[in-house]
Amino acid sequence: MAQSHVSVGTAGKRRRRSTRGLMRRVRRARPLSCLILTLIAVIMLIPIVFTFLYSFFPKGEISSYLAQRGSYDQSRWMDILFSPAQVSLRQYYTILIEEPQYLQLFCNSVLYAGAILVGQGFVIPLTAYALSRFRFRGRDALFFLVLVLMVLPFQVTMAPSVMTLRALGLLDTVWAVILPMIFSPFYLFLVRQFMIGIPGEIVEAGQMDGAGTLRCFVHVMLPVCRPILCAAAALSFADSWNMVEQPLIYLTNQSMQPLSVMFNQINTDSTGVAFAGAALYLLPMLLIYIYFQDDILLGVQLSELK
Amino acid sequence: MFRKKSVWLYLLPGLLGLMAFYLVPFVWGVWFSLTDGTIDNRFVGFDNYLRVWQNEVFQLGLKNTIELSLLCAPVIFVLSFLLAGMLRKPIAGSTFYRNALLMPYLMPSAAMLIIWLILFDYGGPVNRLAVALGFDRVFWLEGAALRVPIVLLYIWKNLGFSVVIFTAALQAVPESLYEYASLEGAGWFRREWSITLPQILPTAFLVFVLAVVNAFKIFKEVYFIGGAYPAESIYTLQHYMNNKFSKLDYQDVTTAAYSFAVIVIALFLLLYRTKSVRQGEAA
Repeated sequence: MAQSHVSVGTAGKRRRRSTRGLMRRVRRARPLSCLILTLIAVIMLIPIVFTFLYSFFPKGEISSYLAQRGSYDQSRWMDILFSPAQVSLRQYYTILIEEPQYLQLFCNSVLYAGAILVGQGFVIPLTAYALSRFRFRGRDALFFLVLVLMVLPFQVTMAPSVMTLRALGLLDTVWAVILPMIFSPFYLFLVRQFMIGIPGEIVEAGQMDGAGTLRCFVHVMLPVCRPILCAAAALSFADSWNMVEQPLIYLTNQSMQPLSVMFNQINTDSTGVAFAGAALYLLPMLLIYIYFQDDILLGVQLSELK
Repeated sequence: MFRKKSVWLYLLPGLLGLMAFYLVPFVWGVWFSLTDGTIDNRFVGFDNYLRVWQNEVFQLGLKNTIELSLLCAPVIFVLSFLLAGMLRKPIAGSTFYRNALLMPYLMPSAAMLIIWLILFDYGGPVNRLAVALGFDRVFWLEGAALRVPIVLLYIWKNLGFSVVIFTAALQAVPESLYEYASLEGAGWFRREWSITLPQILPTAFLVFVLAVVNAFKIFKEVYFIGGAYPAESIYTLQHYMNNKFSKLDYQDVTTAAYSFAVIVIALFLLLYRTKSVRQGEAA
């Protein structure tokens, strides 16, 4: 489809141009837009910054702070805390060493996200390759199907999905969460959008040298697709890290749930450590964002249709 | 482009998975919504739909879902348009601004809940700000006002996504058009109106429809703040489905789900049509 050529081409050009522009002339922002942008950036970062800040408060201070919530008294305000009475790693110590429950759920989340990534690594690039570099009967119909499945909310097929998984004997096992996510249409779409924009000459050069379709895939396509594969991996990890609906429905066993589902339930039991829990929960996504920020930007620009 | 039979080998794993976990449940679900769920499973046509649509709880969920998405979408649309306009030209710190905006997109909403509950507490910072600006305090975490923290959490998480798409569209407008227009003596307003607007209109439409479709799926945020049986003002369609589902009333779940899907798919087709129309013009 020609349309995607256009969008990938411009995305690439856009990036190059913007870096060149940056080198040539970085303008000073007009004061008003500078003010607004800074204000909004600060608002966006406040929740993240304060989560980390509060995670270094002593447990007692946090519990008494949180106990101030829910008062209906007109004359009373909650304090606004900026610095702890003393910097403390006690919250982290508690959730990491004293109470293994948090760590176990954290590991569940890592396992789910990791297993999904591994599976996607096998399935998504291959399928995207077939959908973008081959001509065969029904290709466009198949791609259209992927698009429709992509926009459907999870709840639409929830009930029949449960029955399908039960028929396959997967319900209530970790595979019920992992397997459907491996074939997630969105990442298929994303990688396909990138692959279809790769100029034909690159692949043809490989063909000229006598490489078969598999060799072209491994030695030409995969290296060229590195940015989008990184973007898909980062976005997919974030997706699995955030998923709530699927484990909530597919798993009845509480000890198999990922952190995303259980996080708020374990927090109500032990308020003093809520912020260390949240900070640790955010940390992997923060590192992934920082490391892959350029790729993620590319991924979002390519996912126009999501 | 290859024309080889080996393509089926590459397609096989993905195709099997899509069939098993997406397509079969989808088709099975359609069948479900058209049968009565008894032992003989008779075909009842659209009876289920008529019954579910008349259900008051379903109507409440549908109304809330539509209202929530109509609260989220315009705010995201307008804000991201303004921000993208400011980020169009490279300015000092644009990487920082962009990262600050996009970072929440990856952050798990569950971890944000605790901060949100503090921010919107009756004695919390948001009410302090409101009082400082001369307004009255509000019980944000009760009744109809609950929508505000939910919508804001959703916007916080999803704003950057639209900003990035808008910014890319603005930057793709050829610089030469503006230079030419300036030479012809067009002022700022004239340039924006006659060049920028028509050039980004397709993207603007896309961002708006996406904002509506995605906001239509709003559930996680509501679930975290309101739980499985939330206040009436934030009871969404997905709550209705989840609760019917836990009562094993699969007919009603799928019927509600497909009523919902029809709306989403209709919006999507509208988008797809306009996209291919645009590409047709470009070619």
